[in-house]
Amino acid sequence: MANIYFDLTREFNARGTIAILASGQAVVYYRLAMMSKDGDWIVKETGDACGTILAVLDRHQARYRPGAPLDPRWLSGGWSSHFEFFDDRRRRIRCDFFSRPPKVAAAARDDLFATASEDPLAVIGIEDLILMKRTQSAKDYAVIGELARRLPPAREIEFTTDVDRLCELAPGFTTGSQRPTARVALEGPRDSVVVALARETDQLQQADHQRLRRYEAAAREYLAAFRKADIQDGPLAAAHETACRLAEECLPRDPLGLQG
Amino acid sequence: MKLLSEDDLNLAAMSDEELDRAWDLWFDLAQETNDWDPPYTHGVLVLVEAPPPERSS
Repeated sequence: MANIYFDLTREFNARGTIAILASGQAVVYYRLAMMSKDGDWIVKETGDACGTILAVLDRHQARYRPGAPLDPRWLSGGWSSHFEFFDDRRRRIRCDFFSRPPKVAAAARDDLFATASEDPLAVIGIEDLILMKRTQSAKDYAVIGELARRLPPAREIEFTTDVDRLCELAPGFTTGSQRPTARVALEGPRDSVVVALARETDQLQQADHQRLRRYEAAAREYLAAFRKADIQDGPLAAAHETACRLAEECLPRDPLGLQG
Repeated sequence: MKLLSEDDLNLAAMSDEELDRAWDLWFDLAQETNDWDPPYTHGVLVLVEAPPPERSS
């Protein structure tokens, strides 16, 4: 399989896995939908990995977009870095990077790179992809339902967003489940499952919104300084240096206390 | 219950080459809406809006 985002993944990982393709392009990889015009990657939280990625992006004449520096000091606080370039057909390529995928536990995050295969097209696993897809966007919950179908039933019941599948799976697989909605599916009429699932989805959407609001507020001063400095127009190495300097001045490294 | 359309689910039946061509065509068409896209679709800045265009005096 080859598209620009798959090819970039192979470039990033040519000397070992440092970037794992996630979100919309992972959905394409799993052949579920044409989800996203952009690519996003979970990057290994090291200076070397960030340097390698910056070098690849520089070969493509990428430019920084307003966002955190691609540097472990900010990535480890959950920040994301954003870049853009145009391919040889003048198509816009947007590349987004972060090292702390939301809702993915620290141990699972560490495993991403420890257990990565030698295939340079490294793609996030289905369960972690589902966790990342628990966003504000309603369409992501349809994708979660389809992704969950790829899991064994005992795991599908933990994630499915399909009312009918929940009701089908509940009699056989609720015992080991920690999911309240699965227990409703075992005990209640279908209508109560519909309501429980809607509530669960709304809670996930609200939690994601609150998380992003905190980053948006914490980034305000830095993004204003970033735009004023015209970083987007300069070559990548100089832009990176300026972004780091500005971030030291006014981008809190860890607004949610992730570095603990 | 089907959660995605047939157009999406049909991707599973494609060969790698067919999927690559389909994605390429889709990506070409998707360029038409670049100017209307939100500034961020991933990461933690999704709620950040593009600054208003500067007015010329």
